[in-house]
Formats: sequence, structure tokens, C-alpha cells
Amino acid sequence: MRGIVFSDKTETLVQALTFFRQKMEVDAAVPAENTQPLQEYGAKRLYALQGTGFSDNVSEAILGIIEREKYDFIFIMSTALGREVAGIISDRLGKEIIAEVFDFNLDNSKVRTKRFAWGGKTVTEEESDCRIFTVMPGMTEASRTSEKSEVVQVKLNDSKISLVQSIPKSSSTVDLEHANIIVSVGRGIGKKESIDLVMPFVRAVKGELAGSRPVCLDYQWLSEDRQVGLSGRKVKPKLYIAIGISGQIQHIAGMRGSKTVIAINKDKSAPIFEEADFGIVGDLFQIVPALVKALQQ
Amino acid sequence: MIYLTYNIIVLIKQILDIDQMKTNSTTGEPITDGVPMRVENLSKNAIEAAVRIKEKYGGKVTGIIFGGEQSSSAMKEAYAIGVDDGIVIKGYSGRNPALTAKVLSEKIKTLQYDMVILGNQSADTYTGLLPGKISSLLGIPLLGNAISIDPEEKEVKVTRVLEDHNVVLKGSYPVIISVSQEINEPRLPAVLQIIKAGKREIKIEKAAVTDASSISVISDRAPKSERKKEIYEDQEKGIPVLTRVIKEAML
Ligand SMILES: Cc1cc2nc3c(=O)[nH]c(=O)nc-3n(C[C@H](O)[C@H](O)[C@H](O)COP(=O)(O)OP(=O)(O)OC[C@H]3O[C@@H](n4cnc5c(N)ncnc54)[C@H](O)[C@@H]3O)c2cc1C
Repeated sequence: MRGIVFSDKTETLVQALTFFRQKMEVDAAVPAENTQPLQEYGAKRLYALQGTGFSDNVSEAILGIIEREKYDFIFIMSTALGREVAGIISDRLGKEIIAEVFDFNLDNSKVRTKRFAWGGKTVTEEESDCRIFTVMPGMTEASRTSEKSEVVQVKLNDSKISLVQSIPKSSSTVDLEHANIIVSVGRGIGKKESIDLVMPFVRAVKGELAGSRPVCLDYQWLSEDRQVGLSGRKVKPKLYIAIGISGQIQHIAGMRGSKTVIAINKDKSAPIFEEADFGIVGDLFQIVPALVKALQQ
Repeated sequence: MIYLTYNIIVLIKQILDIDQMKTNSTTGEPITDGVPMRVENLSKNAIEAAVRIKEKYGGKVTGIIFGGEQSSSAMKEAYAIGVDDGIVIKGYSGRNPALTAKVLSEKIKTLQYDMVILGNQSADTYTGLLPGKISSLLGIPLLGNAISIDPEEKEVKVTRVLEDHNVVLKGSYPVIISVSQEINEPRLPAVLQIIKAGKREIKIEKAAVTDASSISVISDRAPKSERKKEIYEDQEKGIPVLTRVIKEAML
């Protein structure tokens, strides 16, 4: 069995290579500027796509490689570009695709995959003859191998789309991925000023501050690089403390790997309590100061 | 100056209101009976984006829903926001994005358009495949994950959000644009608009589709959480426990 993995993000590609190299022989396709750190993750061949990549010319390049190499499986990592490329490639090949899988197993000639359904409320396990998949980040922990990939340069064709400008997002200095304790706040804190009330607690536990999507993206009470969840950071601290977070599945997707979870929420039936080891039902504005006090004793 | 107007097609998706959906407490299976449908949030962003372009530059917005029984009420919601013409194609059965893309693009090909606008993903499955598939079927460039759309004479400029940076892209008409949630705050239509919308006509069509899928569902259940779930309603009891757990983690 042979497969190819495409990703425009190094971090998710190395996870996928680590996972799939145990199931089959894999090659990978990546933007040329990303090849350097990727050669030690078990891809037999690394196709370095040279030039500015858009959904159309990246799809074309990958289709060209697929046509030559006749892979059994095509895995495309779920990023903004990846999902578009997956749509185009599956259409051009006329092949059925399963999207956003987080588990993959070969079972004779069939494939068994798992993905979230109903907005993440359930996990669907499916059996199929599918050969193309988009893959969720975080399938496994990345690890290196001793063999180095052979790098093959591929020149991208011109795109119908042109790049006017690239706008960097201020690069993050927040290291949530390696934090020991994370204090994460949700819409329940009510307003930006409440962060000041939570800060003594963050300091008392020597933690890093993080937040749910509404807090980081919609209201901008915290910077976007502190967002935990499906479309944010994936964290796995020793202790994750969720304050005023309801625990929607898209949030859980980012903190499921935490060793221990504490939840503080005034709503007894908030789903976060299903994902917590310890919790208190009550008003965060009382509980957080009380905890600071108790910790100082 | 030439006054430019645009023909815009907006693709509207209806989903089961997943926030109201529960799972069976013993089997973990989804309970979909009696759960109402709603217009998917990102479709509302797409409608809003299309209507704003029309309001600023002039033009016409045509809404298309590939749906079923409750789709007329969804289209009326779209009318109330500012969609001019509505087409409901009945026959949506499964969640096969290839089929949806085919039905939608066949309809789009019969219409005049400069831009097709849709949501980049939807809250029930997140597949995010439709923008790519439709762009491939129509053979037009995809400007995806937009947080702003600036139409110009021959081209449209779009700010696209990527994971670690944003880019500004340009493409010549016709184009397909998928929007990200941050693009706008969809308006709540005024009561008068809602009443007016209720009286407007909707074109109802039917798609003949056959779904030949190799995918069979083995199980569909709520994931079991392995957490301890020691939840205290009495703060006096809870605070010391939490304090101990935190202190242990700090070691
Ligand atoms: C495609 C997609 C991607 C997404 N990605 C992410 C993501 O990466 N990260 C993310 O977080 N979300 C994400 N979301 C959004 C997610 O669905 C939820 O909307 C979000 O997580 C809710 O944030 P919240 O818990 O802060 O707010 P809410 O759901 O509003 O919850 C607030 C909670 O605070 C509690 N509360 C209120 N006042 C108090 C008080 N005084 N004391 C104690 N508790 C109080 C309430 O009981 C409630 O449970 C995504 C959604 C989509 C569709």
C-alpha cells in the first residue's frame, strides 16, 4: 500500500506522517519553503511545490503526482487550503471522499475511519472503499525516523488567482503547547475588564492564560493566539482550568488531551462538566477569588 | 464613471439545529426526531456579504437552497435579509458533498453571475469541501476563507484568513468566494421585512438524484468521557478539593 499526504502546515504534516508511515509507504507534498524540517519523518519522497500556491495550481500539481505514482490513498490535512484542494481533487478524480477523519485503519480491502458528526456531538465510525480523506490535526504525537526523504522539486503552474499582499499576524509569544497549567476563560467572564479579576488566579497557579473562541476572536478580550479549540490551539497541559466556558465540542477538541480538567460554571448542566475531572457549580466571580485565597494559605 | 452592478448567487445551507439535538443517554446515539432545521450560521454570513455588496454597488442577489420540506421558510429568512430571487431545489437526502456540489453547480450554470458566495464550512460536519468542488465543476477560481470582499471593475479583491497569516487575493469574474465567520455580523431583519418576505414567491424545483455511496456507518455515538466528574454544588466542599488538585499540578 502506498499513500501521499499533502499539508501546507509543517506541524500537522509531521503528525500525519508519523501516523500513516506505520500503515503504508508514504510520500508527502509540501510548499517548497517547508521541506527543510520535514525530511526526517518517514516520507519516502518529499515533493517540494515551488512557487506561490493557490487552490487551483496546488491541486493541479498534486493531481499530476497522483497520476504518475498511482497511490492507493490520498490524505489531505485539514487546513483552509487543504480543504479546498481536497474538494477540487476529489471532484477531478470523481472519487468519494470522507472529510475530517481522526482515525484510520485498514481492514482487508476496506477502510475504517472515525470522524465527528452532528457538530461534534457524536463520533461516527464508517467502513468504506474511499481512497481520499481530509485529516484532522492531532492524530498522533510526531516522531522522527532515521531515514531521510528524497526531495523532488515540482514547479507550480500559474494560478488564475493572484497574490496582492501577505499580512503577517503578529507572531505568537504565548507558549500554550508546553504550559503546565492553563487557565482558560470563556464568554462567562462577561467583559474584558474581568480578565483583571482572573489574573491574580493565573499568577497564583503559575499558569498561562487562554480563552474560548468568543473571547479571543469575536470580542477580542484576549489575543487570537490564546484561543483553544478546533480552530485554535491544541493543548495538553497537566491541568486545564475552564472558567465560564460552556464546553462546546469545538472547544473540547482543543483541550481533550489535558491530563486533568477543572471546570467552574454557574450552569449545572453545562457540557464542560462532562469533560471535567473536578468542578464547582457557581458564580466564577465568587469562586475564583476564593480559590486565590485558599491557594495563598 | 461607469456604474457597476453585480449578479451574485448565494448558496444557502439548512442544517438540523444541532444545538437543540440531544443524544440518547444510554446508547449515545443522536436523537434527531423533532429537532427543527435552521439556516446554517455561515450561510447567514454569506447572505449578509452578498446583500452588502448589492447595497453598495447595485445588482441582484439570487439565493439557492438544495434542501427539502422546510427550505421555503429558510428562503423567506434570506428574503428578509435582502435576497432578491430564491430557488429551492428539493431532493436533498444525504450528506454527500459531491452530489450537493453537482446539483448546485448545474443550477448555477443556467444563471448569470459574477460571484458565487457561500460559507467556508458548516457547523454540522465541517467538511469544507463544497467551495473546492463547486469551483472545480464550474471551472472558476476560488477565493476562499474571506473576511472582506472588495469588488472592482474586472476583478474582485478578497482578504483570506489562513492559519498563521492573512493574504489579499485577486481574481477575475466570475469567481466563487467562501466566507469565514469573521466577515460580518448578519443583521436581524426588521419585522416589516419579515412580513414582506413571507408573501414573496419562491421557485421550487426538483433534482433527480441517486446516491451511490460505498460508505456504511458502523456506529454513531456520543464519545464517552473518561473524566472523573467530581462536581461540587457546595462551594465549601469544592474549594478545598480544587485547591488540592491545583497544588498537586504545580509541583
Ligand atoms: C467551525 C467552528 C470552529 C470553532 N472553533 C472553536 C475554537 O477553536 N475554540 C472555541 O472555544 N470555540 C470554537 N467554536 C465555537 C464554539 O462552538 C462555541 O461557540 C464556543 O466555544 C463557546 O464559547 P464559550 O464557552 O466561551 O461561551 P458560551 O457557550 O456562551 O458559554 C459561556 C458559559 O459561561 C457560563 N457562565 C456565565 N456567567 C457565569 C458566571 N458568572 N460564573 C460561572 N459561569 C458563568 C455559562 O453558564 C456558559 O456555560 C467554533 C465553532 C465553529 C462552528
